[in-house]
Amino acid sequence: MLSRSRCLTRNLGRSLSVIRQGNKVFSRQATAALSTSHGVIYNKSLNSQPRSSVFQIQYFRTSAAYRDDVVTVKTPAFAESVTEGDVRWEKAVGDTVTEDEVVCEIETDKTSVQVPSPAAGVIEELLVPDGGKVEGGTPLFKLRKGAGAPKAAEAPKVEAPPTASPPPPPSPTSPPPSIVGPIPTTMPPVPPVPAHAMAAKPVSAIKPTPAPAAPVAQTEGVVKGARTESRVKMNRMRLRIAQRLKEAQNTCAMLTTFNEVDMSNISEMRKSYKDAFLKKHNIKLGFMSAFVKAAAYALSDQPAVNAVIDDTTKEIVYRDYVDISVAVATPKGLVVPVIRNVEGMNFADIEKAINLLGEKARKNELAVEDMDGGTFTISNGGVFGSMFGTPIINPPQSAILGMHGIFDRPVAIGGKVEIRPMMYVALTYDHRLIDGREAVTFLRKIKSVVEDPRVLLLDM
Amino acid sequence: FRKTHLSGFFSAGIHSKLTKDGSLIFQSKSTDIHQNLALEDWIETNVDLTNRRLFLLWRSHAAVVIGRHQNPWAECDLGAMWRAGVPLARRRSGGGTVYHDMGNLNLTFFSCRKLYDRQRNLKVVTEALRRARPELDVRATERLDIVLNGKYKISGSASRLSRKASYHHCTLLHSADGSALQSVLRPSTPGIHSNATPSVVSSVTNLTDHAPSLTWEELTQALSNLSYAPYFGLSSPLSLLDPSDESLFPGIGCMASELRSWDWTFGKTPKFTIETELSLSDDLTLEHTTAQLHIELKNGLISSIVITVQDQWLQQTLINELCDVLTGERFCPHRVAAAVSTLIKSEQDETQRRLHKLSNTVISVMG
Repeated sequence: MLSRSRCLTRNLGRSLSVIRQGNKVFSRQATAALSTSHGVIYNKSLNSQPRSSVFQIQYFRTSAAYRDDVVTVKTPAFAESVTEGDVRWEKAVGDTVTEDEVVCEIETDKTSVQVPSPAAGVIEELLVPDGGKVEGGTPLFKLRKGAGAPKAAEAPKVEAPPTASPPPPPSPTSPPPSIVGPIPTTMPPVPPVPAHAMAAKPVSAIKPTPAPAAPVAQTEGVVKGARTESRVKMNRMRLRIAQRLKEAQNTCAMLTTFNEVDMSNISEMRKSYKDAFLKKHNIKLGFMSAFVKAAAYALSDQPAVNAVIDDTTKEIVYRDYVDISVAVATPKGLVVPVIRNVEGMNFADIEKAINLLGEKARKNELAVEDMDGGTFTISNGGVFGSMFGTPIINPPQSAILGMHGIFDRPVAIGGKVEIRPMMYVALTYDHRLIDGREAVTFLRKIKSVVEDPRVLLLDM
Repeated sequence: FRKTHLSGFFSAGIHSKLTKDGSLIFQSKSTDIHQNLALEDWIETNVDLTNRRLFLLWRSHAAVVIGRHQNPWAECDLGAMWRAGVPLARRRSGGGTVYHDMGNLNLTFFSCRKLYDRQRNLKVVTEALRRARPELDVRATERLDIVLNGKYKISGSASRLSRKASYHHCTLLHSADGSALQSVLRPSTPGIHSNATPSVVSSVTNLTDHAPSLTWEELTQALSNLSYAPYFGLSSPLSLLDPSDESLFPGIGCMASELRSWDWTFGKTPKFTIETELSLSDDLTLEHTTAQLHIELKNGLISSIVITVQDQWLQQTLINELCDVLTGERFCPHRVAAAVSTLIKSEQDETQRRLHKLSNTVISVMG
């Protein structure tokens, strides 16, 4: 409120000095300002003005606030005796344009000709449909001159303050993290499949994913203290995801077991070999491959975790192949690109497969098959800084591994306290199929492989 | 575009190259189609052409370039291009679709609007060719093509007139890959109804097919040696330009990224509809049926899609859900695949199989 009145008095001061100068144009616009602002402040000040100015004001108060010319813009003459062309609209009815801004292009005889606006204003009407034929001189569009949005350099911007609710920001930027949780809204449309830690998130985190950014941005635009609500209908996709998640929760007996992994060995291995790896295989060596391989190894060892219950036939389906889905968040929802037959791959193969999926996604070759199926899922909440959490199973699988953030923690090693980079891992599993002992053994196996990859060689 | 002031932005390099009057002949070092198109745009926006004419020679690696107001799905086979790694570019001038590769020379004539004269420009080209190989019968047509021996097209033109400047560019087929050309310049999908600018198909030929001894160097030399052309003034030496040099061309990187963006390349497609029939069969039971597909597209996005399947092959409510998921998406196979995968996952058995089949068939329409 304070800032508003300050602005108004400033404008008032300006308009008063302008009135004193007696310039007709300015005073008309200043009067416009006066007439659209709150009356109280001005009345007092007006009385203190010299009489001539008061007369001027009284005279102009009755006139319209803005100049209201509507011009019809015609098709310019074509070059080189060409007679007709097709119109392609760049702007639409209601768009504000500046002087010289391109409103449409006319294509004639393989030439694209720009048609600029003769003045600043708002497009009132398009007289030819998009793609329609015109000749030189044909009326093209109607432009209402004058400021559609506060753009006139002379008149102070008094249109803004008097309005009770300021318009929403022209370009809603991504909402602050406090509202929508750790989901980067600047996620590229292609599921990013980098060689190292995947930009994935646990399925449980889907729920707070923002609906279209618009409603959240609207809450940004509203003045603080205005307690409005906005309702957005849930789209079918979201309804479906919600339905499936609840179904999964209702059928599976889900529970989670945790463990922690000492990442020092694997970090050290990565540091020692990353340059040589890059040189030989031409891709980067990341942490994901270690976990994928560890999971594949553990799954081969504990086939129940790789199996699934078929509720319709009441059978347990055991699979001898291991397809690992890596959960990736995209603007359109969770996608789970699958790495097939991981049981036979080594770290380099896994990194290549992950890289290939990324390449396919970039080249728009990712098919529906590539994003579905899978016997086990790994999700990485650590990218967002999560420390600890319970992932939710992605039906129709039986288990999911959640990776969290790597943080330096004091741990007891050989009776002494040491600082080690530690990661908490979580395994959510279907207790109908996998019992506690199997789940814990499974997770411990993953831990032992990641903590010491030599375990793979020795088949321990 | 951002209009920049001439004086503020020209570095000493370009300034010293500009002679006081007359013409300047440049060749682009780049073979990237988007960089070269951005270079054309930069020159048109930033160089004061009131007393100058500029002539630019360039070529690019394999690419398909469509005109400003064309429909890429109607003009070229996007699927084939993606598989072959051939990029798509939309230029700012009008006209039809061309296939670029290292055997296709591009010539751009820059001038102010008053001095815009395409026939004169083409005369420069035909005279240069006649000097180099007098036995070749090259002629410019009314449509501003250059034809060889009266029937084969070796060059096509397009141009752009902005507020102050203009450019007219044309291709010149020296030794382009004819079979590659033919394989990509066909529609991605049948059933397109659009009022976008169509391309006029012509039989083409390479200069080297008729004058095998004409080398690339000889051709560029003949074209840049314009001392005989009275309207081009004194000849100037051919200068090499590097369009990736941001210090010489401030803002060019931004122009190139805009040209590379999906919103420019595909989003600028005029409104169109696709009306076609799909053939569907269940992979397991082999039950066969047909479906009618009607899609309306605006700005490259699916604004409405209606699928009608015969014979109760799949539940209509499910089909409508699929349509709902697809509405508002980019007309791009990858985006759509991500969107439908969740829908498919939530079904089972026969329904899932059929839904999957339907989705794949619809996706294949996108090229």
